[in-house]
Amino acid sequence: MATDTGGKFDGSGLRTGLGLDDPRRLFRGTAGLIGFVALWYLVSLTQPAIVLPSPVAVAAEFRGQLVSGTMLEALASSVRHWVPGTIAGTGLGVGAGVAFAWSGLLDDVTAPLVRVLRPVPPLALIGFAIAWFGLNHAGAAFIIAVGGFWINFYATYGAVEGVSEDLVDVGRTLGVRGDLDMIRSVVLPASLPGITTGIRTGLGRCWMLVIAAEIFSVPGVGREILRASNNLRVDRAIAYILVLSLMYLVVDVAFRAVQRRVLAWQA
Amino acid sequence: MAGVNRDSEAGDESADRYGGADTGVAVDGVGKTYDDGGGPVRALDDVSFAVESGEFVCVVGPSGCGKTTLFRVIAGLTGATDGSVRVAGAPVTAPTTDMGVVFQEYHLFPWLTVEENVGFGLERSDRPQGERERRVDEMLDLVGLTEFRDSYPKSLSGGMKQRVAIARSLAVDPELLLMDEPFGAVDAQTREMLQRELLDVWASTGKTVLFVTHDVAEAVTLADRIVVMAAEPGRVAEIVDVDVPRPRERGDPAFGEHVARVRELIGAGP
Repeated sequence: MATDTGGKFDGSGLRTGLGLDDPRRLFRGTAGLIGFVALWYLVSLTQPAIVLPSPVAVAAEFRGQLVSGTMLEALASSVRHWVPGTIAGTGLGVGAGVAFAWSGLLDDVTAPLVRVLRPVPPLALIGFAIAWFGLNHAGAAFIIAVGGFWINFYATYGAVEGVSEDLVDVGRTLGVRGDLDMIRSVVLPASLPGITTGIRTGLGRCWMLVIAAEIFSVPGVGREILRASNNLRVDRAIAYILVLSLMYLVVDVAFRAVQRRVLAWQA
Repeated sequence: MAGVNRDSEAGDESADRYGGADTGVAVDGVGKTYDDGGGPVRALDDVSFAVESGEFVCVVGPSGCGKTTLFRVIAGLTGATDGSVRVAGAPVTAPTTDMGVVFQEYHLFPWLTVEENVGFGLERSDRPQGERERRVDEMLDLVGLTEFRDSYPKSLSGGMKQRVAIARSLAVDPELLLMDEPFGAVDAQTREMLQRELLDVWASTGKTVLFVTHDVAEAVTLADRIVVMAAEPGRVAEIVDVDVPRPRERGDPAFGEHVARVRELIGAGP
């Protein structure tokens, strides 16, 4: 899911995806965006609105939904399961990733189980979400958490496995005693670049899962997209897709700023 | 060298033989056998020598003679198959802060500043905060890096990184400084400077130093005595006293004789 992160990686993985700090990239990016919208407009002239509405129609629909309050209501509802789902999935994923990568015993015990569960798409668990939590925010949060969990689990697992044995040896010679001290003082800080990259990817993935989580009629942005699609309101579907994109963008930029601060030692 | 043999079984004759003074190192009959999948490999065989308190001893040998394995056994990072290592009379079974360990590749913690790296071991000691800070200042001053205290390792040169690593290992005030090819990754000029600095640190702190290297001239420059190892299996070929007054000059005929003698011993091989 490395492509989810939106940004380009230049080794440190911290280059801003939008290039706001680089005028040349900003210019090129803006030109690309304008070109895309222009092309979209031209193609839409040849197509009926139920196949491809024009960007102008989408903008009008976006504005209408925003002004009527429907959009903010849907967004607020989505946020109410996105936030707990993302936090739970991220926390459990990172925690399990550290524990399983560090403890050979836990890893051996869980390896077959992990292989069985890993390929199960979050959407396939909808029955469990309904049975265990009901048709509510908790059920939707569960779907989101499952998706976020695996991304964070694998990113963290890989990062912890990649921690240099030598740093662990140095820690031991400097008086680090016991697994908890070693994890806190050496393993976590050393694997933080990989862990935060996983968290960032997971944040985006969790926004995508909002649609899956709302497929059983929990209100939110995802349900609006599904409804609009069922009613052949492609303009409204695109307007709400843009809402997801914007939310992802906001969260990603904010997280990247945090990541850059935390990983200042890499720069 | 009949040593005081603190907290070890009475009547352990070998410890008496090799267990020098309180802060010395006694390597006694150490053997190490690996199984790398293609059958057992004897990396070390019956390695015995002692380092006395305050002494500077170098271990040299050809590649594959088990120098690094021996280093890891003495540091307590890996166990020996046979024999034992005692530091300050106590058997080494795990890493201890009685030993400051310096590795070839520095292995600084990249997420910590120079100051935080140096203070890492102190955080786990029972010294009060004020004393820890003083100790860090002292160590930074000792290696001349006070003005880089807030820098991250990434921005330092190889020589500076190794100075930080030395300061970090000395900060907890170990009895023994154990070094594995610490200057192997820096250029020749920096290496000579670091060698001089290490001798100064040694002279001013009175630590016992056990220094592993493959560079014969480096060993002759630094050591009171040189443990020359041979390969297959890794074992002690001979222990050479370096009775050349310090500071030692490479042009000095006595220096050259020692280098030639050690090279010959290494070349003699199995």
